[in-house]
Amino acid sequence: MLSCIDLAKTYAGERGNVAAVDGITIEVQPGEFASIVGRSGSGKSSLLAMIGGLSRPSRGAVNVEDTDIWALTDDRLADFRNRRIGFVYQFASLLPTLRIVDNVALPALLGRRQNAADAYERAVETLDQLGLYDHVDAYPAEISAGEQRRAAIARALINAPALLLADEPTSDLDEETERQIMDGFRKLNRDRGLTLIMVTHNLRLAEQTDRIIRIAGGKLVP
Amino acid sequence: MAKQSGIGFLVARLALQNLGRRKARTLLLVAAVAICSGAVFTGAVLIQSIESSMSVGFTRLGADMLVVPAGTLTNITAALLTAEPTDLTLDEGILARLAALKGVQRVAPQLVFRTDASGYRRGGDLVDFIAFDPARDLTVQPWLEQHLDRPLRDGDVIVGGRREEAVGSELLVFGWPLTVYGRLGKTAVGTHERGLFISFATLAEMRVTMQQICGMKAPLEPNKLSGILLQLAPGVTTQQVRFGVLANFPGVKVVSGEAMLTSIRQGLTALLGGVLALMVIMFVSTALMVSVLFSAIITERKRELGLLRAIGARRHQIVGMLLTEAGLATAAGGIAGCVLGLFLMRAYQHSLVYHLDDMGIPFVWLNATITGLIASFCILATSLVGALGALFPAWRASGQEPYALIRSDG
Repeated sequence: MLSCIDLAKTYAGERGNVAAVDGITIEVQPGEFASIVGRSGSGKSSLLAMIGGLSRPSRGAVNVEDTDIWALTDDRLADFRNRRIGFVYQFASLLPTLRIVDNVALPALLGRRQNAADAYERAVETLDQLGLYDHVDAYPAEISAGEQRRAAIARALINAPALLLADEPTSDLDEETERQIMDGFRKLNRDRGLTLIMVTHNLRLAEQTDRIIRIAGGKLVP
Repeated sequence: MAKQSGIGFLVARLALQNLGRRKARTLLLVAAVAICSGAVFTGAVLIQSIESSMSVGFTRLGADMLVVPAGTLTNITAALLTAEPTDLTLDEGILARLAALKGVQRVAPQLVFRTDASGYRRGGDLVDFIAFDPARDLTVQPWLEQHLDRPLRDGDVIVGGRREEAVGSELLVFGWPLTVYGRLGKTAVGTHERGLFISFATLAEMRVTMQQICGMKAPLEPNKLSGILLQLAPGVTTQQVRFGVLANFPGVKVVSGEAMLTSIRQGLTALLGGVLALMVIMFVSTALMVSVLFSAIITERKRELGLLRAIGARRHQIVGMLLTEAGLATAAGGIAGCVLGLFLMRAYQHSLVYHLDDMGIPFVWLNATITGLIASFCILATSLVGALGALFPAWRASGQEPYALIRSDG
């Protein structure tokens, strides 16, 4: 499903180049639920961004479903992200001026593979599966943080991606909501066979996944 | 079922809603663009109106040159429609010799007499009587807007475009009843618009009465002319004929349409060029202002743009959304500016036109279609300028990595 080969990312800093990720090679199997664990600044989010096609590696390659995503043109990479990769972030990532249903339908509409009616029908279905049917017409500010996060998950799932990437998805949520989100991830992984990679600094959450990938100083650690 | 929107509509809605999120800033942008658009619109309409007024005043004239007594002062706007009222005169004998001059195709004699003693409308109004020869006329009958369904005859009078007498009605001047044969169209030339036009034959019949009332004024003497309008043969230049006239007829002055038109057109072109340069400067400054503003707006919204990129928005879709936003705001400013310009022009119409008239510029407002076209141009131009202004910051932002955009503090 996913292979990262000798992946590195270097940022230019005031005191010279800083290696955020330094030569990481990992493989994730289809249907696997993996977590990337490390302290703040360990390079886990940079690694996830390269895996998700959001940040170009300084070195190395990322293959998702046998596609070398960083060999794609910018437009093709945008299409690939749209169709095959879903993202959930550590902050409220919904567009505040759009209704929940518009936010969820947006990736489907951007992809242009479905007409508006189909995209909205699918958005409502997905929201229903995540228990947000009553909030389709609400605006993000009108629902709770946990509901916003579930809406963001619905948005990530609207195009039935092969890979779901979550960057500290529960970092600002209470324990109960955190539990609901993790239950949701496990259900998606179990029922749909969805491959999940979650970045977290919380070892307790990481222990609920199939595999823990530890990272420190931009390198894999045993 | 939730209300559905296509991606184009959703992007447009996002653009509108983003503008609505920062109302004060959007209103300031709209106001700044409105000032630019209003100035450009008003300037363009006024310049076009002046140019159109000039066209009315000059391009429809039948005469190429006017020969008048040397001391005559000539009003350039009126000169080639009619001679100016003056006590200086030419002898009628000059007419045949002028007609025979090489390069002259037609000659049209006129005698203009200004008086406040005609008894016109039973008052002391100052009236210009213009006697002309209907058979040789170049500049009076072509302007007839309404007339009786018969040829002009002795005892008829043609009234200028601003006179109120009905065609077919009777007009009493110097105790003579004259039939209003026709009315001229509006020429924007004062003498022409307010004059009473009679044939030389009618003047001859009334001459004695006029002399009795007004005294023996030079223009009322027999065989006198105030000026002679000339139409040149094709291919002949005004310079060639001017030399011929001045060489053969001492004591005359030649007013050449071409020279006047050239100087006026040159002046107008310079003015038009200045206004065009000002318009370009205003548009460029608007583009720069929009560019600076959108740089700030985009910096604030980097995370949102990064999210859109992450979920699959292509670079051109991001740029399109931002350009739509800039285009909508500046188009609104353009519309507001045109409305403001229209309002101001209407509010100051009387004083403006009065001042222009005072400067010798007859003023004819543009028709609604052309005004509408200019307004449309201004709105489109401001919208385009707004989009162009936002293009650089939008393109630059859309080219950043989605992760860098998402991580930003905006």
